Amino acid sequence: MENSDAPSQRPVTLDIDGEVDPDGLEASASPQIDLLGRSITLEVPFQEESIDLDAEAFPSLLDDSVNSETIIDKLNDQMMESVMISDSPNSEDEDVVPIDTLLGQNEDNEALDSKGPKRDAGKEDDDTNTASSVNAAEPEEASASLFEEEVVKTSDKIETVDQGSFDTPSPEGLNALDTGTTPKDELLPVCTIFSQGVQPKAQALIPDGFQPILVKSPSFTIGNTETPNRLVPQVCQPSPSLSKFFTDNGAVNPASDFFDSFTTSTSFISISNPNAESPKATVPPEPQLLSGTGSMPTPGPQEAVPASTYFSPASQGGVLNPQASSVEPGASMSKLQAVFSGGDDPFASALSTSEVDKRYDAWLPSEETRRVLISVATHQVNPAQLDREHLSMPGLKFDNLQGDAVKDLMQRFLGEQAAMKRQVLSANSVEQNFLGLKRLISTKNWRAAVDLTGRLLTAHGQGYGKSGQPSNHNTDSLQLWFVRLALLVKLNLFQNAELELEPFGNLEHPNLYYEYYPTVYPGRRGSIVPFSMRVLHAELPQYLQKPQETLDRLHGIKSVCQKILSNLQEGFAEDGSMINLTQENRQASIQLWRSRLSRVMYSMANCLLMMKDYVLAVEVYQSIIEYEPEQKVQLLSGIGRIFLQIGDIRTADKYFLEVEKACELKGKSPDEDTSVLMNRAFVHLSQNNYTDAHECFSSVLKIDPKNPVANNNAAVCLLYLGRLKESLGQLESLVHKDPALYLHESVLFNLTTMYELESSRSTQKKQALLEAAACREGDSFNIQCLKLV
Amino acid sequence: MDVNQAKQEHLLALKVMRLTKPTLFTNMPVTCEDRDLPGDSFIRLMKDDPSTVKGAETLILGEMLTLPQNFGNIFLGETFSSYISVHNDSTQMVKDILVKADLQTSSQRLNLSASNSAVSELKPECCIDDVIHHEVKEIGTHILVCAVSYTTQSGEKLYFRKFFKFQVLKPLDVKTKFYNAETDEVFLEAQIQNITTSPMFMEKVSLEPSLMYNVTELNTVAAEELSESTFGTMSYLQPSDTRQYLYCLKPKPEFAEKAGVIKGVTVIGKLDIVWKTNLGERGRLQTSQLQRMAPGYGDVRLSLELIPDTVNLEEPFDITCKITNCSERTMDLLLEMCNTRSIHWCGVSGRQLGKLSPSASLSIPLKVLSSVQGLQSISGLRLTDTFLKRTYEYDDIAQVCVVFPYTSPES
Repeated sequence: MENSDAPSQRPVTLDIDGEVDPDGLEASASPQIDLLGRSITLEVPFQEESIDLDAEAFPSLLDDSVNSETIIDKLNDQMMESVMISDSPNSEDEDVVPIDTLLGQNEDNEALDSKGPKRDAGKEDDDTNTASSVNAAEPEEASASLFEEEVVKTSDKIETVDQGSFDTPSPEGLNALDTGTTPKDELLPVCTIFSQGVQPKAQALIPDGFQPILVKSPSFTIGNTETPNRLVPQVCQPSPSLSKFFTDNGAVNPASDFFDSFTTSTSFISISNPNAESPKATVPPEPQLLSGTGSMPTPGPQEAVPASTYFSPASQGGVLNPQASSVEPGASMSKLQAVFSGGDDPFASALSTSEVDKRYDAWLPSEETRRVLISVATHQVNPAQLDREHLSMPGLKFDNLQGDAVKDLMQRFLGEQAAMKRQVLSANSVEQNFLGLKRLISTKNWRAAVDLTGRLLTAHGQGYGKSGQPSNHNTDSLQLWFVRLALLVKLNLFQNAELELEPFGNLEHPNLYYEYYPTVYPGRRGSIVPFSMRVLHAELPQYLQKPQETLDRLHGIKSVCQKILSNLQEGFAEDGSMINLTQENRQASIQLWRSRLSRVMYSMANCLLMMKDYVLAVEVYQSIIEYEPEQKVQLLSGIGRIFLQIGDIRTADKYFLEVEKACELKGKSPDEDTSVLMNRAFVHLSQNNYTDAHECFSSVLKIDPKNPVANNNAAVCLLYLGRLKESLGQLESLVHKDPALYLHESVLFNLTTMYELESSRSTQKKQALLEAAACREGDSFNIQCLKLV
Repeated sequence: MDVNQAKQEHLLALKVMRLTKPTLFTNMPVTCEDRDLPGDSFIRLMKDDPSTVKGAETLILGEMLTLPQNFGNIFLGETFSSYISVHNDSTQMVKDILVKADLQTSSQRLNLSASNSAVSELKPECCIDDVIHHEVKEIGTHILVCAVSYTTQSGEKLYFRKFFKFQVLKPLDVKTKFYNAETDEVFLEAQIQNITTSPMFMEKVSLEPSLMYNVTELNTVAAEELSESTFGTMSYLQPSDTRQYLYCLKPKPEFAEKAGVIKGVTVIGKLDIVWKTNLGERGRLQTSQLQRMAPGYGDVRLSLELIPDTVNLEEPFDITCKITNCSERTMDLLLEMCNTRSIHWCGVSGRQLGKLSPSASLSIPLKVLSSVQGLQSISGLRLTDTFLKRTYEYDDIAQVCVVFPYTSPES
């Protein structure tokens, strides 16, 4: 025992160092000596306490009855120790090859021999300590239950654990040797500059010449690693029962089930639609709905015309205006334009679309779509005869009401009465038109807004179950779709959004263009699909783990933007036609399309960032500066933060320096001062210097006391400095003082996390937050951040 | 021992949270244009949102810090930080509180508490805070054991503890390979693979040579003043990416003479790796001592000091051989040269080289010509120790490229 104690003091490396293992083995047996030594001062009479005073842990609690105490102590620590040993690091490192087994296989026998006696000694220790311990089958549960209990108190529990966790190390050393074979790596190309004749013998023993090297913490090696020239494989293997208990499934956090009081939770960001999975029976359109749609404003001459009129060719012929065809896009149109050059017809010019419309609606359809549109315009094809496959026929995919999660949560935690007090706008309580929709959006009642878009679209013939049935698109219907889809995305209901976007395909269907409806939109051309919807359509797949598709779509949009810009710069109209634009209009159009291009590039960079393709993301963000020079400071700071996220502080510093220069150029307005200070704070944070980081955030607050980011971040720093109460107090007072700014999910998440860390009564405090949120926030409030459920 | 007692409500509550680095909040921009139905309401919502970057609301990476959301992974060489909070949940004053945090690993038990002195009293709704840090030095199961003892107002001494188990994983996979150059230099190629699930910024990967060697890192391309990394500007490793580092080790002058006769396993040095991840979370590892089996040279080592890389067909060229006596005795050597199918030696075979004492070496210039084009192997040298009548054969000593001397028929 004395002998074995000495080596156990040595730090054990995770090195391939075989000698380590006997040590580790003995460590299991030896600590009680250690602990005995420490527990001498115990005084409290053990028998009188109903609670196990862990003598070892508390030298201050004194105990005379050292003997009785130490047994438990011993067992106690046996439990801990033996668990550890059975979970030998060797099991993790099967691919690690002790160099010596490769380089000098003839030394193996020797090595094993030298190890032999030590191992025996360790075994003896085990035996003496655990007289009747060796039953490996049942104990698993015993130890498991212990960990579930978490709090060890009774000695009988400890005993069961002891039985369970103790395992005589079986002679598995040979296994360890077996695992020491070389991993099968591909051969590296042999370096030919060296003559082959002198390739060392070692090469023959190591087929690929590569030796897996064990890595370990540097400070850990000090003292014993400088002379390991005999490396012996470790002997200990995990005992079957315990290794099962301790199985860790790779990257999954094994501690999660254990750490219930680790104040953590799963990601709170995603909201799932409670109704999405089990769609209820179709809610029949309510009667008042019809009247609602009746009162819908008619923003333009393009108010919906009964479908029959669009599609009856007979009624169309006479009305069709030459202008309609003369404004077809594409080069082939020039000859048509020649035919219809009599454009000075007053009727035609009255109908000609406004310059602004043209600018915003411009789009370059795909070749196929373009051909269809031309044939529609030139009467070669009747739209009614078009193959349905080429048409976009959307319909609501779900029309169950979205509900109000905040209210549900209040019902659950605060009772029916409190929930009654919650007053939010619903789809019923606003005007059944665009005005009402806008009201719902700006009051953050996005769920109700989704409901309302559903009603308005139903009135438009694109309601629930109408997908796949021909219907007409117009400016309003597509705007409604855009709003609906945008809100679904904002609500993180990505699946629903994808489902409803599906009938739109790639937004290339001919019936999504004005040219398809020459009677309704005489003379108007371009895309009815708003540009923002195209961007949304492109962005959606990335939220559903299909970022590559997002990039593909964004590149498509980007190339159209670039083409339109080059058309404009070369003196053509947006679509490449020869129509003359006034200088003013051209400039306005270039400006619009440049901003659109930069919006698409933002999306691309954001997507690349989510894909963790930092090189490209930084490149794209950098190139946006050219389009949005006024955002230079924000963009450079953002790039700097990306580098901090990777861990590359030096490069981040470089970008932050550029930010400072850019600010100086502008003469340092206080606003920019804050961004400089903010950046400095993040650098301090990355250097683990929370004190200075806190300082920097505080100085931002001196300039801009209401800055919510600085306030929140300063509080976060306080927590890392061990000042939980202060941090909590600060955040709490902010939320109460200025709920408009601080009832944000990130702040609330931080606050609830701190509540959980602070006391066992976090639920009450969270409920108070719920009440605060309930009187301010709309139905789109992300309740997950309160961590009540 | 009353088992029910164990279920008793404690006056104090112990909470533990792992302090990984905070994360930057990312928002989700959904925009529209002025002409679209929502008008300016989307952009107004984004501007009012405190988590967006003001002036650049479409940038998803914001500045708002959020606390860690889950325990996450912890890797060997990283620092385990944890917040330990003991809160008095009761309405009474509690005395003599001692909080102790130990970390139990497979080989040892470490005390992580900053202070081991008891707090004399704790008022209701107050808490004792501690932030512990520990550089993780072992792989496998770790258990954080937090023990709290205290005395109630009635003088009852109470005690409880909690266990928090977590696994420490291996972050990197390191493989090495040695190449022995003719010139006693050793080249070390190290393949380092990121086996975590997040990108890793490699701050430092250096070789700390053992006493015998000087090291030159071959991982930068010198371009004027600035040396540029061979890995380009972005020096991070994506998950499961592997990177190759190359080092050249030269024996120090005082060992250089002996290097020729170094035998067996020698210690080359160790790799020191420092990386950073999210917001500067740092990790550091060292490999064990890298060892190399010195190439065995037998009793007599023959190496080449000079050889042209390209020679003309059927034209004699010079090579210089260095012969080193690696044995413990003096040798009397005889050099024989045997022609092969393509290699023809010029000069007299069976030449006496004289006596060569241990560790001494001598250089001999030789002439040779090749009768075959292409890459030819120099072979056929035989050294005989006349004392022991032992012959050492040297084939495939080096290669030369044999070319036809005339580039075009006209010339």
